[in-house]
Amino acid sequence: MYILEVKNLKKVYTPRFGGNQVQALSSVSFGVEKGEYVAIMGESGSGKTTLLNILAALDTPTAGDVLLNGRNIGSIPQKEIAAFRRDNLGFVFQDFNLLDTFSIRDNIFLPLVLARKPYQEMERRLTPIARKLGIEPILAKYPYEVSGGEKQRTAIARAIITNPQLILADEPTGALDSRATDGLLRLFREINEEGQTILMVTHSTKAASFAQRVLFIKDGEIFHQLYKGDSSEEEMYQKIADTLTMIATGGERRG
Amino acid sequence: MGRFFYWKLAADNIRKNIQVYLPYILTCTATVAMYYLMHSLSQNSGLGKMSGGDTVQMMLSFGFVVVGIFSAVFLLYTNSFLIKRRKKEFGLFNVLGMEKKHLARIMMYETIYIAVISISAGLIGGIVLSKAMFLLLLKLLRFEVQMGFEISGSAIVFALLLFGTIFFLTLLSNLRQVHLAKPIELLKGGQVGEREPKAKWLLTLSGLASMGTGYYLALTAESPIAALTLFFVAVILVMIGTYCLFTAGSIALLKLLRKNKSYYYRPNRFTTVSGLMYRMQRNAVGLANICILSTMVLVTLSTTVALFVGVEDVLKTRYPRDIVISSYGITDEYIDNLGATVAQVVENHNLVMQDPMEYRMLSFVGIAQGNEFLTDEPSLNISPSRLKTLCFIPSEDYSGLTGEEVQLAQDEVLLYSQGADYEYESLSVLGRTFSVRKQLNELPAVTEWDISGRHFLIVKDMDVVEEMYHAQADVYGEHGSKLTYHLQFDFPGDVSEEGEIAFYKDLRSSLPSGGVSRYIESREAVKDEFYSLYGGLFFLGLFLGILFIMGTVLIIYYKQITEGYEDKERFAIMQKVGMSREEVKRSIRSQVLTVFFLPLIVATVHISVAFPFITKLLAVFSLRNTLLFATCTGGTVLIFALFYGLVYHRTARVYYRIVSM
Repeated sequence: MYILEVKNLKKVYTPRFGGNQVQALSSVSFGVEKGEYVAIMGESGSGKTTLLNILAALDTPTAGDVLLNGRNIGSIPQKEIAAFRRDNLGFVFQDFNLLDTFSIRDNIFLPLVLARKPYQEMERRLTPIARKLGIEPILAKYPYEVSGGEKQRTAIARAIITNPQLILADEPTGALDSRATDGLLRLFREINEEGQTILMVTHSTKAASFAQRVLFIKDGEIFHQLYKGDSSEEEMYQKIADTLTMIATGGERRG
Repeated sequence: MGRFFYWKLAADNIRKNIQVYLPYILTCTATVAMYYLMHSLSQNSGLGKMSGGDTVQMMLSFGFVVVGIFSAVFLLYTNSFLIKRRKKEFGLFNVLGMEKKHLARIMMYETIYIAVISISAGLIGGIVLSKAMFLLLLKLLRFEVQMGFEISGSAIVFALLLFGTIFFLTLLSNLRQVHLAKPIELLKGGQVGEREPKAKWLLTLSGLASMGTGYYLALTAESPIAALTLFFVAVILVMIGTYCLFTAGSIALLKLLRKNKSYYYRPNRFTTVSGLMYRMQRNAVGLANICILSTMVLVTLSTTVALFVGVEDVLKTRYPRDIVISSYGITDEYIDNLGATVAQVVENHNLVMQDPMEYRMLSFVGIAQGNEFLTDEPSLNISPSRLKTLCFIPSEDYSGLTGEEVQLAQDEVLLYSQGADYEYESLSVLGRTFSVRKQLNELPAVTEWDISGRHFLIVKDMDVVEEMYHAQADVYGEHGSKLTYHLQFDFPGDVSEEGEIAFYKDLRSSLPSGGVSRYIESREAVKDEFYSLYGGLFFLGLFLGILFIMGTVLIIYYKQITEGYEDKERFAIMQKVGMSREEVKRSIRSQVLTVFFLPLIVATVHISVAFPFITKLLAVFSLRNTLLFATCTGGTVLIFALFYGLVYHRTARVYYRIVSM
């Protein structure tokens, strides 16, 4: 049973004032099972961000379907899309996307507030998450007072506090130093081990090596995929690096 | 590279940033126009000739100095917002290989464009506007406008110099910013974290205290003249209170709201409260300024409108009869003589006296102390509210006025109090004690109102009046009062204005004198004067009011737009996290609404509190029609609010467009 199913997704950008059409996604199909940790890799311009935007219902595909838990995202009326996103998806962005006018605590609460949850429940949900992510001491602080790693952990807390079906992460380690990156990736793995489904877009080999499965996207198509299986992170790292080299040097496609 | 490359680039830059530059240019234009109008008005030769015009001109010349300073501060301030937004662009030029001197050149050309456009548009606008205002005035108002239309050369020169300097200063500050910064800093210029505002409880409390005291003073003020100084203290206190509460109070209140978890953690309030906190931090002083200025404008407008609309009322109150002749230091012979002369002149003009009334009176001032009126206390250090005028009228004259026969004993009086209640059974003055037989509810012929309050005493006969006359003459000496005689009458309704004025002039030259000072008041004769005085005030009120509304609204519009750009990112994030477009719209609406209408609401509260006092003050100007004044105040506030609402609507739309781009 797939929690997320993507079928023949196609996206063509038509410039507003004529000009050449740009095909960002030509035909993308894949599925993510419940509890899976999937990374999507690809170079800049390969269509990663477009794919993520469509999965997040921030953009609509030209053709093809996205099914989340069997429900077609494209069929959700515009009015409910915000609520849908809030209830089913959690987001972690490269640049954190925290609001400077809210404290760390309030930033985490934001999606719950929008979902009109009572305050007691917000607190109840926050306590274990804050402990796990190690952000208890900074809850009263403001985003500009904490480090990049702490900001990203705040963003993760904000993403998981709604118990989403799926977490979408867009280059979550992109703005972090290597120590913070390690910490964050370990956190992702822990969360995943607790049953959370994660879909991460990245071009960091290291970040991808933590995932159970890596999809490679090139020129708007899924080009290749790798399963981690029982391999260690180091072995996975090596495999990913090999695949990337192959893609870059224009090797043959393999199953 | 062509010679005009930089000129073209500068023009392109402005065109590309038109959404921020248009309000800026409009603001500059409006400021220049406002300055020109004020300055030229202060030099208008017609205004100087108008009664009270020189005072108004003095105020205006003070006004244009204030506008000048205000413009400088305001334009520099808005400019700093503008340049902050454009730093990224300059950073890019810098990275692309332009040297700082090239950037400086582009900035200089941009400033020149903007300066030329806004100064010339402002001056033309100012000239056209002043011409239009004069034309409108001539059409609308019935009084002769003595103020002509003039183009003031010196105002133009001053405006050029002032605004030239201001634009030069903005250029310097921009150059400094760009010169000091590194390209990377320029590229990031737009985003600098802002600290969370702190709640200043002490300031909030002192604001509350001074506002409360001010309100209390204004509400409890009694007679306007006595309390005028106190009222000014109240005004100052309220101003201080307004500043404190806008800056500290608003943030303290928002913090309190935030502390209330079940209130705060609701979708709309969550974003609104936290957004407002930052918005207030940045805008509080400006909003407080706007609030205070709005209050002033609304007060000025509503009073001048009320005075102008109520000018007939004022005339009727101040001059209850068509003709009133008052004589001081009378003799019986003089009275007979006067009667005959008046009758003769009336006949000569083929007129008829309607409802003539005459009475003799003695009035002097005493200091009230219970039911005693002192005449020997040194008048220094005496609260003006204790000063009362006592007016003695013989009962025979009272009978003549009312047609009512009264029999009074030697020490009995009928008492009519004006402006204050008299609560005692008797009244003592100059060694005599009168017992009050009856309090009267009205007294014909004496409608003119004295602000300090008067007691009219109807006494047995002229002998009592004369006895009092001598007694007070002994005490007051050369400052003593004289016996007076008042004759008043109306003309039938069909007598023309010119006829009345002709009669008035004729009467003035034919009255007997015989050592008696006498005054003739004709309502028709003063009518024009009233219209031109009150009309002039009305015009000025309207003029300054419109100017100010323009300025205020542009300022708020501009600030909101600038903030829209800053908020764009925040709303984008909230949408990603799951805020719907509807919720974004609602949040924007309530924030912009608050920033817009808070000053107006507070100004309205200020006005309502000041209302009773201003009503009393207007009574000094003989306008006693409270309903009329209330209508004018309400109407002014309503029109102001309407105009405000229109601009709000437009601002919210533009703001939403920017945020959702």
